[in-house]
Amino acid sequence: MVSEPVVEVQGLRKTFKVHEREAGLGATIRGVFRRRFKDVHAVAGISFRIDRGEVVGFLGPNGAGKTTTLKMLSGLLNPSSGEARVLGFVPWDRESAYLRRMTLLIGNRSQLQWDIPAADSLLVLKEIYGLGADKYRATLGQLTELLGLAEILHKPVRNLSLGERMKVEFAAGLIQSPEVAFLDEPTIGLDVSMQARIRQFVAEYNRRTGATILLTSHYMDDVVALCKRVLVIHHGRLLYDGALSGLAERLAPYKRLVATLRDGQASGFDFASFGEVASNEDGKVTLHVPREVAPERTAALVRALGDRIEDISVEDPPIEDVIDKVFTAGAEVVS
Amino acid sequence: MIRIYRALLLAQLQVAAQYRLSMFLYLLFSIMRPVIFLAAWSAVAIARGGSVGGFTPADFAAYYVILTVVGHLVAAWNQYDFEFQVRMGQISPRLVRPLHPIHYAIAENMIWKSFTIVGIVPVLAIIIVTYGVQFRFEPWQIALFVPSLVLAAALQFFMSWCIATTAFWTTRTHAVSTLFDRTAFIFAGQIAPLSLLPGVLQQIAYVLPFGYIYGVPTDILRGGHDLPTSIVLIAGQTIWVVVAFVASRIVWSYGVRAYTAVGA
Repeated sequence: MVSEPVVEVQGLRKTFKVHEREAGLGATIRGVFRRRFKDVHAVAGISFRIDRGEVVGFLGPNGAGKTTTLKMLSGLLNPSSGEARVLGFVPWDRESAYLRRMTLLIGNRSQLQWDIPAADSLLVLKEIYGLGADKYRATLGQLTELLGLAEILHKPVRNLSLGERMKVEFAAGLIQSPEVAFLDEPTIGLDVSMQARIRQFVAEYNRRTGATILLTSHYMDDVVALCKRVLVIHHGRLLYDGALSGLAERLAPYKRLVATLRDGQASGFDFASFGEVASNEDGKVTLHVPREVAPERTAALVRALGDRIEDISVEDPPIEDVIDKVFTAGAEVVS
Repeated sequence: MIRIYRALLLAQLQVAAQYRLSMFLYLLFSIMRPVIFLAAWSAVAIARGGSVGGFTPADFAAYYVILTVVGHLVAAWNQYDFEFQVRMGQISPRLVRPLHPIHYAIAENMIWKSFTIVGIVPVLAIIIVTYGVQFRFEPWQIALFVPSLVLAAALQFFMSWCIATTAFWTTRTHAVSTLFDRTAFIFAGQIAPLSLLPGVLQQIAYVLPFGYIYGVPTDILRGGHDLPTSIVLIAGQTIWVVVAFVASRIVWSYGVRAYTAVGA
């Protein structure tokens, strides 16, 4: 038997009308009398489906249409055209029965009352979702254990650090035990260890509850840790829908090798023989090296440069660069 | 819904308790305006041999004391709060909860007004003593004042909610709010009791909704109208409440679809 998908999206589009004017006094005065608008196609017709219990990463550079898609699926925005069903509901009808079963969490945006402790805001949510005392206590207990909330639940939210606040935001977003969670940049601005904790939490939450999760992030680490499947979106179009393993090979076949020279002089050395030179400024050289030969090339470069080298690092290219590169190279939509 | 309101009211009470200074300043502002008009009208009454249009200084004091209490209890400031929430994207989390955002505003409105009314009492007591005000309320005046006050508060709240909701399109509602406040200032019975407005202005005042928010409940309690007139005025209030409620529902349903959730 084929199970019904939890999220089903067909030809979804969102076009914003954006007021546009040139700089300067004349343009400002003209703009008062006659406004020019430009259509911005934030989401330009995307289709996909997500099954129950999947954790799917939604990747793309700033302005790609990720957040707009999430906002449409959570019912916050009405689409310009296209269809979507989540748990069998049309999200933008915003039926109470739907809103009770899903959550939208936006990193760096607070949904809690700043002036009172999160514990008090959670009590309001308990009543809004009509949670019984036992159910509420059990869910809060589970979230407290997973997120380590015991110390921070009773402090006013405005006195919490960013990481602590994100943890209580998660508690507020998940207190109703949603079956679907839309997480928009949940680790943005957090330090590395807090990012790791949030990642562990999301993975554990998915494992324990079987919730379906669609997650956007700029951090490749989030996606690698959590998602077997990714959707890549750029300029509102879906570029890739498939396994994460396929994405890494397909979209990021190289590593970035960054060498900093002690004397600040990079001239007179043949960097091109070690990889494609992406940039060369003030003694800092960035090379793109094929993934499979990165260790040997790095060792060879260190040997060749000898004591001229001050620092060297090997890293994955930023996901935005990779996607942009693939997009401009004319990648086809893959389903 | 009772349990939800109990929780919302408790949370708002905790927030309100933290902002004593801003509450004090707000109070000062809400008392200042009627006190200034009371002083001005009293001076005019004395200069004209003791009364203006049948109002003695003590009558003016009674009117402005009641108007201050009414003005406080019917106050709504949705347009200011909501604009900020829309501009900063703070409304978004509330839109994805299974509770209409208006309920947060109602709870906040109720708590702030009940919390701050206490501060008004001493100032009004000073005015009552200074002007030698004597209140003589008939039982029917009190009986009609209560529903009139509730209707006035509902009317003000829904009109304020209508203006607030235009923030979905305009993001800035300040100009509309200012126009609303200035018009209310003339036609609501603040600048002068409605019965003292010159002929045409008085007629306009009883057509527009503003007088039904401030002047009408004040005059009903003060004994400015007889029983049949008071009942007709309450019927007028009811009609305006229905109009404002329906308008607020319509504006909301269109506004929420126009919401672009930018930066939220």
